[in-house]
Amino acid sequence: MKYHVFTRHKAGDDMIHAGTVQADSDRLARIYAHRTYDEEDWEFMGVVREEHLLEVDEQPIVGGRAR
Amino acid sequence: MSAEAENAWPEAAVDYVKAIADTKLLLGQRYGEWMLKGPNLEDDISGASNAQDEIGQVRQLFRLLTQQGVEDDWLESSRSAEEYANASILDEEAENWPTFIVQVALADRAAWLLLDAIVHDDFTGMVQKMGEDEYFHLEHHDARLETLAEDQPEAVEAALERYFPGILAFIGPSSYGSSEDPLVSADFTDRSIAEIRGAFHEHYEELFAGTDVSVPPLEEDVPEPEAWDETRRRSGEGHVEPSVVEQLQGISNQEYVIE
Repeated sequence: MKYHVFTRHKAGDDMIHAGTVQADSDRLARIYAHRTYDEEDWEFMGVVREEHLLEVDEQPIVGGRAR
Repeated sequence: MSAEAENAWPEAAVDYVKAIADTKLLLGQRYGEWMLKGPNLEDDISGASNAQDEIGQVRQLFRLLTQQGVEDDWLESSRSAEEYANASILDEEAENWPTFIVQVALADRAAWLLLDAIVHDDFTGMVQKMGEDEYFHLEHHDARLETLAEDQPEAVEAALERYFPGILAFIGPSSYGSSEDPLVSADFTDRSIAEIRGAFHEHYEELFAGTDVSVPPLEEDVPEPEAWDETRRRSGEGHVEPSVVEQLQGISNQEYVIE
């Protein structure tokens, strides 16, 4: 599974997309992210499974005509 | 009593720390061998980080051993393969990935439990820092073992059966209960070998609960006390390959040493 790694320098900062890791479990993803991207003194690091990202896209209006 | 003599560890404690240090030295070697051939890049990066951590920890343990009068020759070179006191399960490189993960998981956790039991002032702060490194090693192993237990339970179980006697010998004999353990009696550690064995075994029972992997039983007579070598924390005469000793001692590149 593909996981996206997000970090920030200090509380209140915007998250930075640090990169991605491939892992077979959430537990492994946390370790891989730390080992791969812990080059700076991050205040926060988190991982999100790619399949959990919600796409923000345009959808046809329900009841309207498809365009 | 001089300050130096007052701070002297019991002889058994020097052997205990030597065995932990040599095990970490060999762990660094085994992680290094696998850091370019793991199943994916993330495992390679983790392996390289683990190797770096282990060698750094060895340097710290060697520094303390020097203070206890252990000679540079023992620390840096001039030792034969038979003199290394590493956990015997690290004597040979594992032949495949599941075996490697079981090998380093057992050795790294056992070495950590022995280190974590030390309460002598010389280790204050240092063990805590090492624990910060070790958290990531042990989490990596356990997370990997969880997935391997699903995918290749036979391979994991075979490796556990192969390595369990050796790692129990490294931890020490079951007869070292809280009243019998010489290092507990000397206030060098506060957790007996018998207790550490129990905690070690229980950890893997819990990790593999609900999987098809059976953890070998905690055999009370492994290692047999009369066959156990307290200095090398093993039974028998086995040792690491001489070619690995040459790598550890930098013999093949001796001419490039910076004086």
